[in-house]
Amino acid sequence: MVENSPSPLPERAIYGFVLFLGSQFGFFLYCLWAYVPEEWLHSVGLTYWPQKYWALAMPIYLLVALMVSLVVLFGINMNNTAPLDSVDNITDVFAQGQRSDCYRKGGIPRLEDVSISEVNKMFYLSSET
Amino acid sequence: KQNHDVSSAMEDEALSNISGKAISLDCQTHSSFCREFTVSSPKMSIGKVMVYTCSVWLLAYGVFFFTENTTVLSSAILITLTGMMLHIHFVKVDHESLLVIGSLGIQLSSSYASGREVTTFIEMSRIKDIVINEAVYLNQIIYYLCVLLKEPSEPNVVSSVVPLFQSSKPRLNCLAKVYKSCQEILSKCQ
Repeated sequence: MVENSPSPLPERAIYGFVLFLGSQFGFFLYCLWAYVPEEWLHSVGLTYWPQKYWALAMPIYLLVALMVSLVVLFGINMNNTAPLDSVDNITDVFAQGQRSDCYRKGGIPRLEDVSISEVNKMFYLSSET
Repeated sequence: KQNHDVSSAMEDEALSNISGKAISLDCQTHSSFCREFTVSSPKMSIGKVMVYTCSVWLLAYGVFFFTENTTVLSSAILITLTGMMLHIHFVKVDHESLLVIGSLGIQLSSSYASGREVTTFIEMSRIKDIVINEAVYLNQIIYYLCVLLKEPSEPNVVSSVVPLFQSSKPRLNCLAKVYKSCQEILSKCQ
């Protein structure tokens, strides 16, 4: 049984270094493709590459998508928040379906949701101290 | 006979709404089973109205100065006037009240600054309880008083929720007073 722990291991160090080298090499290839004129690439024989327009467009698209997704995430969160007049703020399917079976004399009662009316009574109607 | 109790005069604490503006709570006990609570929002200050209209008209005059078009001026005046009228008729709530009559029902009413009143009556057989609940509202968690409604056929299930004092949004100290007072009546008459 292998334990999952976030501690550093030799294998993880190797994976990290391989990813680092790979990403630096990928960036070098991208810069190479972006800067080398098309005629040189054609003369070598490499003809089927994307238009140079994408050398600028792709990073810009990615950055704009990042900005928009930040705003959209915030918006989705606000959209999913239940409004003040929704029953989801009071109870839900699981709380309504819980069984209140009779417990044995002297035993510990089963763990269950306390209804909001009881919670209010405990907080606001019990002795004012 | 009638017991009138303005809480801001009785106790030393000043009641405020969730943004910190001062509000006032007025509890009237009409009889042993009938009570009315009125929460009043702060009134519109004349200074703020004047600042707003002056800035809008100065802006319109500035645009007129550059474009030499008189419709800018007249449309700015028209928009300001209709905007203010719509605001005081539909948006600005002057006070909200909750009238609890034991074994009959409760009545919620909001009056707007133009005098318009919107009233809702809920009969006692549909009311399960009046509680203070906490919920997420925009970027904060607020306490609000709400009425839990039930269908007469299923008395243990909360069918819907009606939040109270939505425009004035009082803080917990005000809500706790109203809650305790309501529970005295509801516990006798349910």
